[in-house]
Amino acid sequence: MVSLTAPVAKDGHRPARTSGPAGPAARRRTGRPGIGWALPAVVFFALFAVVPLVLVAVLSFTTWSGLGSPEFAGFDNWVTLFHDPVMIKSLWLSVLLTVLGVVVQTPLSILLGVWAAGPQRNRAVLSAVFFVPLLLSATAVSVLWRALLDPNFGVPSQAAWLFGDGNLLGSRTGAISVLVLVSAWQFTPLHALIYQGATRAIPAVLYQAAEIDGAGRVRQFFHITLPQLRNSIITSVILMVVGGLTTFDTVLILTQGGPGTDTTISAYYMYQKAFKGFEFGAGAAIALLLVLVATAVSLVVVRVSGYDRMAGTKEGM
Amino acid sequence: MKTRARFRRAVAGGAALVLSLGLAACGSGGSSSGDSDEFHVLVYGDATNRVEERIVATFNKTSEVKAVLDTVPGADYQQKLQTVINTPQAPDVFFNWGGGSISPFVEADLLLPLDDMIKNEPGLKSNFLPSVFETAQVDGKTYGVPMRGTQPVLLFHNKKVLADAGVEPPRTWDDLLAAVKTLKAEGVTPIALGGGDRWTTMMWFEYLYDRVAGPELFKSALAGDKEVWESADSRKALDMLKELIDAGAFGTNYDSVKFTDGGSPALLSSGKAAFELMGSWAYSTQQDADPDFAKNDLGYGAFPSVEGGKGDAANLVGNTNNFYSVRKSTEHADAIAEFLQLMYSDEFVESQLAIGNLPTTTNTAKFLDAADNPEYLKYQYDLVDKAPAFQLSWDQAYPPKNMTPIYVAVQQFFNGQLDADGFIKAMQALTTA
Amino acid sequence: MRRRPNYLAGVGVTLWLFVVGLPLYVMLGAGVQSRPDYNAGGPLGFPDHFTLDNYVDSFSNGFGRYFVNTLIVTASVVAIVVLLVPPLAFTIVRNRGRTTSGVFRLFLLGLAIPAQAVIVPMFYVISEAGLYDNLIGVILPTAAFCMPVCVLILTGTMRDITNDLFEAMAIDGADTRRVFFQLVVPLSKSGLSTVVVFAALQAWNGFLFPLVLTQSEESKVITLGLYNFQTQHGVEIPGLLAAVVLSTVPVLLVYLFARRALVQGLMGVGGK
Repeated sequence: MVSLTAPVAKDGHRPARTSGPAGPAARRRTGRPGIGWALPAVVFFALFAVVPLVLVAVLSFTTWSGLGSPEFAGFDNWVTLFHDPVMIKSLWLSVLLTVLGVVVQTPLSILLGVWAAGPQRNRAVLSAVFFVPLLLSATAVSVLWRALLDPNFGVPSQAAWLFGDGNLLGSRTGAISVLVLVSAWQFTPLHALIYQGATRAIPAVLYQAAEIDGAGRVRQFFHITLPQLRNSIITSVILMVVGGLTTFDTVLILTQGGPGTDTTISAYYMYQKAFKGFEFGAGAAIALLLVLVATAVSLVVVRVSGYDRMAGTKEGM
Repeated sequence: MKTRARFRRAVAGGAALVLSLGLAACGSGGSSSGDSDEFHVLVYGDATNRVEERIVATFNKTSEVKAVLDTVPGADYQQKLQTVINTPQAPDVFFNWGGGSISPFVEADLLLPLDDMIKNEPGLKSNFLPSVFETAQVDGKTYGVPMRGTQPVLLFHNKKVLADAGVEPPRTWDDLLAAVKTLKAEGVTPIALGGGDRWTTMMWFEYLYDRVAGPELFKSALAGDKEVWESADSRKALDMLKELIDAGAFGTNYDSVKFTDGGSPALLSSGKAAFELMGSWAYSTQQDADPDFAKNDLGYGAFPSVEGGKGDAANLVGNTNNFYSVRKSTEHADAIAEFLQLMYSDEFVESQLAIGNLPTTTNTAKFLDAADNPEYLKYQYDLVDKAPAFQLSWDQAYPPKNMTPIYVAVQQFFNGQLDADGFIKAMQALTTA
Repeated sequence: MRRRPNYLAGVGVTLWLFVVGLPLYVMLGAGVQSRPDYNAGGPLGFPDHFTLDNYVDSFSNGFGRYFVNTLIVTASVVAIVVLLVPPLAFTIVRNRGRTTSGVFRLFLLGLAIPAQAVIVPMFYVISEAGLYDNLIGVILPTAAFCMPVCVLILTGTMRDITNDLFEAMAIDGADTRRVFFQLVVPLSKSGLSTVVVFAALQAWNGFLFPLVLTQSEESKVITLGLYNFQTQHGVEIPGLLAAVVLSTVPVLLVYLFARRALVQGLMGVGGK
């Protein structure tokens, strides 16, 4: 999300590029659209995105089972949520999965990205293959992996030396590892792509200078490549964090939040409360919490990293 | 409250407005309502749908108003029903489990009492066994007509595997423990369990609680008495279950396996496992997936008795029956009354019997001999007929929001995350009524 | 300058090729085997008796209809986005009023709203509007939720149009409409193609909205078809994986023939 946001958002507040004799009045005549041009899109977006968001906030203060009308319940849902051990655990699990995702995918995708940035032909070909998982929908990926990992009819049945009894989705560690692995399988190419673009944008002069200084490949990587990828790392991590907090399809198809509640992350718990238990009010409260957390995390990362003060380059595209 | 209602209506109206502007004119859709000469029948999607298809076809041959059959795959049925029931797309007639599963709809005034229909056509009542018919009565009014059949939970087995291991189908709990030991030594998973579905795991609790404590314990719990979960009987049932799990009866990877996706039935039919505790529908599941196995090697029996237990060994758990209920706002009540009369037709009874379902109509008995699998059906018929108590599944008996907490608790007890105290606490935390 | 080959990288990449390739191999291999062959050979077994039955079965099991439904959803979402977003982006870039920057911020806010968060009220709104279990009910929110990224992509492209060009048009006496259709749209082609691909991917791969907002066979899309197939016949792995392959074919085709636009569009997907 923010790979595009930050640079462009910056643009949005950039003072007008135009200069010259034309005053504001003259400019309006030079093909400046009135606000009416934006109206259809704004109305549409408001109806189907903003209004539901406002309704989430409203619903979170009600009880509603899907039958009849919502009834006002004050802060009941919120109080219950903060005393609900499953809710607290789901927040931790969301954080755990997100952190594991970042820890696993970041080094992998940096290495792959830097490697793919090389000019060799075989690298381009292999990169094209590496890209394929990204083409599948999250649903397709989850269905594929569920089939692969079936203890009796999937790969574990043929590779007991690696998988043991194949109880991957039935054990806590197994289920969490599978979720981390599957999202790494699918999304590493995306992040590698970000790093590939960024690596190619690093001025060759820097490397030439380092070669003259006699720096080896490893030193070049740590002293030139990595520091130059700083912005991309931030972009990529924000993407992973937001993606991790809102993971849903994979959990629904692979684990249904189990075993027990061991992979019931907040986004799934929300779905479960609302559409399995028909506690739509409680579901709405979790949803609102998710929006707030995702927004806050993005803001904090951007602020801490100083990303919002960076020049609006198109790095990463 | 009022302002908010107006606000919501405004939002919905706005959405409709956008549509009328033609923005979405490019999208055609599968709108399932709007045609005035048909009514929709929503059923739980599984292997037995072919009977519903057949009955609907029979009905449509003679009726001006056509019935349209919609199915929702099992795992999502309850959820879809609750979400759709209050919308214009709600089905006119829908499958349910009677009792607890429809009482919220009755409270919300969404269902049509069928008493007038019955007054006009007494056969709608008199052709069904009275004890089953009562399951769909709420506050003295009738809201459902039985469809499909009664579905007791049975202990299925693979005859060949048992024979190879020299094991007899167990009659008592001790038999079962001994069989587990023998089978394990043979390298077979003693009991197939699709733990990924979790209600499969729950069945073991339902039966053990019944056998040890009798049906009264759960009845009291459902009525709001949380103390019963702490009783000595409750603890004994949990101890016995724990013993079975610890003996390795279910293997180790059962939570990665499911019944619904065909996983655990395949374990049983392929001989990788010896037993499976499952509803009577498992017969048609096997018939579908592996007809040869269903015909030759699929054995079945009642849940073992427990020595010294308070529950009668003839007690059953499962789905007492399924029902068709009718939505109040339907425009086709008369046609639906005609449709419901097919639920005790000879064709209905015969085709249900053909797939192993046992209808609870009064004319069922005379067809039993003619069915393809009379032995299986007579066996069940006898069981149901003689059962002193028939407990509806726990997840159907409690209000729906308890479903996940129950599932989580049974799964966590099986995998050791909850001990007996933890399980008792979890059950006490359920909300009743 | 010549460098010695990087053996370490070679080993790492081979490993990764294995991780990526193995599931893809199983996916393609299992799909062309009969179920008994698959069960005998296991997922890693080589498909000895090639068959397309699984693919044929997929179509007779309703995947043809799901395909058409998904196409309808995708085309409609793209149409809505292409109709609504360019004028909006044009306004944001060329009208520098305070309202406009407020509008822009509204869409930026939209980036932070995950679809899951609004699914409960969305369900409410859609069912109140009588659109439950109707493809239109899926199309509308899907389109709305891919708008923010589309707006960002297009405003980025449109900002690159230099002011000189606008002034030249003005001297010609062009009105706003002409400026839009003869200058802005033609010069935003790259951004537009990214937007089209992004919106199409969102619609094609969308799961949550169809999951919650539809129900019957007639309005099922392909991701839901996959999910239902999995919940009902999960161990019929050959048939299941053939369906997975089918669901991906259109995207693969785009990947082969319009790689650049697809990659750009996917970067947008990552953003959501």
